[in-house]
Amino acid sequence: MKLLIVEDNPDLLENIITYLKREGYLCETAEDYDSAFDKIMSYTYDVVLIDIMIPGGDGLQILRELKSVKPETSTIIISAKNSLDDKVKGLELGADDYLTKPFQLAELQARIKAVNRRNNLGGTEIVGVNEISINTKTMEVEVEGTKVDLTPKEYDLLLYFASNKNHVLSKQTIAEHLWGDYVDHLENLDFVYQHIKNLRKKLVASGADDYIESVYSIGYKFNTNKR
Amino acid sequence: MKLITKFLLIYLCVSTVVLGIGGVISYYVIKDEIDQELKWEFLDRIDRVTYLLEQGKTFKGYDNVDQDENLIIRPLGHHVEDDVEVADTLIWDGRLEQEERNVKVSAHRTINDTTYFISTYGNMIESDDVREAVITILLWILVLQVIGAVGIGYFVSGPLFKPFRNTLKRIQEFQLNEREYLKAEETNVEEFRDLNRFVEEMTKKAVSDYKNLKEFAENASHELQTPLAIAKGKLELLTETDLNEEQYKYVEKLERTLKKLSRLSESLALLTKIENHEFVNEENINLSKLITEGIEAFEEFAALNNLQLDTDIEENVSVQMHPMLADILWTNLFQNAIRHNVENGKISVTLNSKKLKISNTGEELKVDTKNLFERFKKAKQNSNSIGLGLSIIKRITDQSGFDISYTTENSWHHIEIILKTVKRA
Repeated sequence: MKLLIVEDNPDLLENIITYLKREGYLCETAEDYDSAFDKIMSYTYDVVLIDIMIPGGDGLQILRELKSVKPETSTIIISAKNSLDDKVKGLELGADDYLTKPFQLAELQARIKAVNRRNNLGGTEIVGVNEISINTKTMEVEVEGTKVDLTPKEYDLLLYFASNKNHVLSKQTIAEHLWGDYVDHLENLDFVYQHIKNLRKKLVASGADDYIESVYSIGYKFNTNKR
Repeated sequence: MKLITKFLLIYLCVSTVVLGIGGVISYYVIKDEIDQELKWEFLDRIDRVTYLLEQGKTFKGYDNVDQDENLIIRPLGHHVEDDVEVADTLIWDGRLEQEERNVKVSAHRTINDTTYFISTYGNMIESDDVREAVITILLWILVLQVIGAVGIGYFVSGPLFKPFRNTLKRIQEFQLNEREYLKAEETNVEEFRDLNRFVEEMTKKAVSDYKNLKEFAENASHELQTPLAIAKGKLELLTETDLNEEQYKYVEKLERTLKKLSRLSESLALLTKIENHEFVNEENINLSKLITEGIEAFEEFAALNNLQLDTDIEENVSVQMHPMLADILWTNLFQNAIRHNVENGKISVTLNSKKLKISNTGEELKVDTKNLFERFKKAKQNSNSIGLGLSIIKRITDQSGFDISYTTENSWHHIEIILKTVKRA
């Protein structure tokens, strides 16, 4: 999969690229308006990440230009502004998703996969992890043909793990992904453990391997290399 | 009190005092003038009597010259030098039954070796009459002045002060977030022109300061987010390396701290935005629906903390407020109730068309509850909360025109918001 990341901050770029590279993505970067414009006009990308505030112009303008020439490209806006207006504007212009800084790299990766699944014509809506297959359209999970009955939260959790397999995900990250702002002020994150425990139980009962590892009981890792 | 009313009152007070003093002066001046006149009249009369005496006319004791009943002409046995004496004397006035001050003129005249004593007294106008006349005149003047003052007042408060009132109205209607300064209106009154120019400059400055402040607050918040995103990313990358338990724990702590930092900057930006009145697009918000759905989202957290939830929510309670603020208000309120609760505690939510009340059990607060809604006032300084939650709640209620109050009793904490409901849909 080929990505273009329009972001002017070299450190943030490095973070994103390092994290995404492990998935084998081909990442290109543009650090200002002009180079971003040149690249979207000259090449085709599967997903373009656009920071709204870039030197030399407006990220939203890049989005407009991109949508006018290659409307099928998936786009995610990255913004430091957590403003409803900007969000609505971005999505109206045809962006597929909107991510507010500071975001988790795991969250970014999950969103990239999600928009790619949604937009990739002829692509598959099945996410497969070894013997587990997740149908993102019907939101059904099967282990070697056997249906696993998951709650919506458990389904989200599994998909998040599958999108970030072999990465360590902290409880905080997981909680933010599943509950968003609702967990902002909560100190006790034990509810994450509850959901993970149930998910593990259900997967193992359906005949899948126990992929979810606890990392010092602080974080979790979906380890697909166990077998 | 209106300026014009005050002005009229002062004017009338001063007029009354001036007229009072003027009245006293007038009284004495008039009285004096009359007495003078009377004195000349009497002297003249004495001269005439002298003349008549010289012509050989004889008077028998009391005789009448000019119908003067008080005239005394008395020949004396001895010789006295000619002289004239003018004096005030008090004469009993039988009709008025009081002593009246009269002018008395007496003279000695020697005619043909006989010295006559000629004397007369009287008053032309009684002092009461003078007083009455003066008072009547002054009262008339006062009445005319009141009429004049009211007339002037009407004119002043009307056409004359119109530019001033216009300016006042425009200042009252002035809203910073509309970013329009008040352009000076033309007027031919110098003071008003100065005022209008001043208002124009002030509002221009206010608008530009407001813009700068807003930009600063927004930029500060945004500029923080990118470094935070970088730090957060680096920590995530760090967890990918081979960390031992201790190291991982540090990383986790750091992650939480970063989260807190980003929340802090977001909350400050939000507070600034509310205070700058940036959330002005109010809509009808169905609070009942918002809260019912919110409670569903929070149920899990409440259950995990073994909290018992009681709700009494009336249906279709609508308020006029910005949708985002409504959401933030409710989320903050409920998160507070969970956060500051105790193990096996309770939360109760009551909503009706008059008020929204959230009560929760919790530890007794050791701080002054008066300052609870101020920024960074926390019950426990070491707690993980950033201390802006209640501030945000307070600002939102202020912005929406609700009243908020906090009470505590028997380890229960109540937050009550008096709502301004629109209508029962």
